Amino acid sequence: MADTWADRLSRKAGYDERSAAILILPVFVVLMVVALYPIIYSFYTSLFDIVLTRPWRRPFVGYGNYARIFQDPMFWVAVQRTTVYTVVTVSITTVFALVVALLLNEAFPGRRLLSALILLPWATPSIVNGLMWKWIYDPGYGLLNGILVQVGLLESYTVWLGNPDRTLFMIANAAIWKQMPLAAILLLVSMKAIPQDLYRAATVDGANVFQRFWHVTLPALKPGLMLVLVYETMISIRHFDLFLIMTQGGPGDASYTLSWQIYVETFRNLKFGIGAALSYLLAIATFVLSYLFIRGFGSKS
Amino acid sequence: MAFPDRSRISRRSLLKASAAGGLVATTGGISATFGQGAPVNFTSWSAAVDQVRSHVSAFERATGLKVNYENFPWAQYRTSVVTRLVGNAPMDVLWVSDAWLPEFAEAGWLATIDDVPELMKYNADAAQFCTQSMVYKGKQYGLAYYGDHMSFIYNTEILQKAGITTPPTSWEEVVQQSLKIKQSGGPEFPMLMALGIDTWLIEFMSALVFAHGGRFVDASGNAIMADANRGVVEAVSWVREAIHTHKIVSPGAVETTEINALRAMGAGQHAFAIVPTYRLRALNDPSQAPAAGKLRPALMPRGPRATASATCGWIRFYGMTPGAKANAGRRANAVRFMEFFGGKDTTGSYTLQKLLLTDVGLPFCTTPLSADPEVQAFWTRWAGGGDVIAQQAATAVKKDVIAPWFGEWNETANAAWQSVFLNRATPQAAATAMAAKWKDLKG
Amino acid sequence: MMWRRGLRALVITVLSLLLVIYVAGPVAWLVSSSLQSESDITAVPPNWLPPKVTFDNFEAIFAPPKREVTYETRRQGDPATGRFLPSGAENLLPALWNSFAVGMLVAILNLVVSMTAAYAIAVIHFKGRKAALYTILVTRVIPDIALIVPLFLVMRQLDLVNTRFALVVTYLAVTVPFTIFILISYFEQIPRDLYRAARADGCSHWQALRFVYLPLSLPALVASVMFAFLTSWNEFIFALILTQNITSQTLPIIISGFVMDFTTSFSFINAAGVIAIVPPVVLAMMFERYIVSGLTAGAVKG
Repeated sequence: MADTWADRLSRKAGYDERSAAILILPVFVVLMVVALYPIIYSFYTSLFDIVLTRPWRRPFVGYGNYARIFQDPMFWVAVQRTTVYTVVTVSITTVFALVVALLLNEAFPGRRLLSALILLPWATPSIVNGLMWKWIYDPGYGLLNGILVQVGLLESYTVWLGNPDRTLFMIANAAIWKQMPLAAILLLVSMKAIPQDLYRAATVDGANVFQRFWHVTLPALKPGLMLVLVYETMISIRHFDLFLIMTQGGPGDASYTLSWQIYVETFRNLKFGIGAALSYLLAIATFVLSYLFIRGFGSKS
Repeated sequence: MAFPDRSRISRRSLLKASAAGGLVATTGGISATFGQGAPVNFTSWSAAVDQVRSHVSAFERATGLKVNYENFPWAQYRTSVVTRLVGNAPMDVLWVSDAWLPEFAEAGWLATIDDVPELMKYNADAAQFCTQSMVYKGKQYGLAYYGDHMSFIYNTEILQKAGITTPPTSWEEVVQQSLKIKQSGGPEFPMLMALGIDTWLIEFMSALVFAHGGRFVDASGNAIMADANRGVVEAVSWVREAIHTHKIVSPGAVETTEINALRAMGAGQHAFAIVPTYRLRALNDPSQAPAAGKLRPALMPRGPRATASATCGWIRFYGMTPGAKANAGRRANAVRFMEFFGGKDTTGSYTLQKLLLTDVGLPFCTTPLSADPEVQAFWTRWAGGGDVIAQQAATAVKKDVIAPWFGEWNETANAAWQSVFLNRATPQAAATAMAAKWKDLKG
Repeated sequence: MMWRRGLRALVITVLSLLLVIYVAGPVAWLVSSSLQSESDITAVPPNWLPPKVTFDNFEAIFAPPKREVTYETRRQGDPATGRFLPSGAENLLPALWNSFAVGMLVAILNLVVSMTAAYAIAVIHFKGRKAALYTILVTRVIPDIALIVPLFLVMRQLDLVNTRFALVVTYLAVTVPFTIFILISYFEQIPRDLYRAARADGCSHWQALRFVYLPLSLPALVASVMFAFLTSWNEFIFALILTQNITSQTLPIIISGFVMDFTTSFSFINAAGVIAIVPPVVLAMMFERYIVSGLTAGAVKG
């Protein structure tokens, strides 16, 4: 009766530790139920040869699923496609967002309107986003062909999504369109925290616009950039919705990414073991990249 | 746990059933002894929704039973249904595609109806092709929802303008007529093909392969798709040349799905197309298609070595879950439902089958209906007569790649077809890849 | 100095114009095509503005026919080639409400649990804060697709399948790690002297959070709320599996159903898309000034 766990804790730990524990507890409860269990379960699944249409036999295969994946030529195709897509999406989104954030950080008439407008893509559900761009790229009726032909840049209607050399970039464009606003806002929020004194001091020292950007803004933006890079990488590397709506991995295997392969193996071929193993490989890649970004940008100078 | 509301629902619908009174007494007398208050859970994809709903209303009125009708979009259907089957969600009767039969049967998700005479008796009226398509390893798994085949259609006006009097009878002729149409100022891409990654792709390609006198597998189920001169390589080569050499098919075909192709054909933008026959109803409907009245079926053109005009046929059917079959009450209701929908209703006629044809264009499997004057009037009105369609239907062959591993093989096949259409692989290389996957999966 | 100011104005104007076209152009096209008939939107060259404005699609969404379908009242014809509206049109409004309810709840709960955790990790220098942060972040490296099956099993065990609650809990787990991340990086930028002063004045951790950190972090808090709401609003794959009827299905599921169906007109899909964009845009515009106008820029001098 006398000893509750809180009492015991308070005797062992100081006020800081106790407060921290209480403040973090709700998050851990949620994550425990909804995230941690599924994560462990899916790792467990990845060690078995589970095929849903064969419910009576699900042998333990250890690293067998992983071994099979490495021998599957489609896996290496998917790795290549995922890499191209992620690098293109993350790098362009980040640079684009930085430009937009710098623009919105300036004071000029119409800024409020502009900053409201850039929220449009963010508010567009990715399913609608995919549909909209697919409709714009349509080889028969699409707006893109319409504009380019009317302006005279293109002689006749051409194929965009159905051209394997273009597919990934067309999808990346739809992704960048949608992801840029959040990235820009995160950077903008980060810029807002930069003390104006630093700029004044720099100006007094005779620094021009670029020097101020390079020596004041950029270093102060490091945490913001890290956030953006980590987040964009995490969602781009496993992006799925656009591929489902726009190309289904095609044409041919031109947009056959890892997340598409996971979907096909899990929900079409109903091979849960292989699907889980693929997911773990993708998770490891995501983790390593995120860690590098956090290490690279997170340290305080 | 999965059925928390079971008892409440049954009580409520029992009350409803007794309120329906006399009707129940006359039509549902015997099965009432099973205490069948529970609703029939019917799952389908979202096609012909109004026709199904109206027939559900009729069923509820005639039997006093309640129906939980749920539908999912076609593209999500298999995933949704499998999730529910595995998750033990309440399902009694569901629509199934012939392509999934072996897989579902092997997994124990479908119940055989061989021992249900109330349903088996309809085989006497059914086209043989349909019944065969519902049989796996000697057991039958359902009653037909509809049965159809791929039709070759042409735009009479475009042909006329180009001075062509009869539609093509060979693939060589398709090329020549298309070139003639192009030269005489007709559409840039006279031949319309829906080669996008879509569940229809295998049906299109099977139709082309069969029309070339070919097959994917031999009688014992071994892959012959990579053998030269067995149809697959020729059919794929024809498509590749149509796109890249003759330029009579749009290079955008690789992203054109069946539904988008339909719009273009209905708009009168192309001279030839291969479409599911049931689409003729919509294509010749003036309120839906500007080219209505000009789109007519012709026999499938033949490949150089084909002896007859052949095409690919398929069926979709009503299946029962083993869970429903194992419970006497649910089984009785499910059987009545399947009979009312896939067989005759309580008025003793094939009401829904006729409705599906005349409303939506879906051809039926029940041969006696063919003689019905309304049915004949339908074909005259929407297809300029039913002879070509009947003749083609007689040559329809079911997809010979249907196997428990069909879905997985088809993923490989889809990518392989497209790599040829994109001119990224030779027809032989693609066929070899498909054959290798088949051998691998067959084990 | 004059030419310099002129150049600045020029650069800003050009950039703003390009940005507006790129960002708003596609949405404008979506709106325009939702007001056109099927034959107008498949015209070549495309109709920039509706030649004849039609509200058919929106009428079908807002005034769906409530009717019992019998042989007499059924609609004939295959809606595939246009003009006809999908049978699921009547589900759009309920789905809109589901999406909104789920999004709001997630946004609020997310903020509550994230700000406390972020404060603990960023401000309180307790042992194991790095470990706590990494544990939270690691839950987000696994692709969502991998979590669907086990999550479905959990929800079935808890009898939560087909409930909005299942989505709320799931989206909370999806959004919380990143929100914490956003807030930590912001809290760390707030000068530590403020914290020390507050503690020296006898503030508890809760009071330091409440009176020092939260007021100074408004932009980040607003960004977090919007992030949580929009992520829930957008989410597709979890909802696809966890919800299978209209009591809990969200907009993306209903809309994707139209697309993957063989019976829906393009212009109707575009109209559904417009419906899906409006509520979050309204919400975002309400909050926008808190982020951009930088209410706190002066305060964080330290």
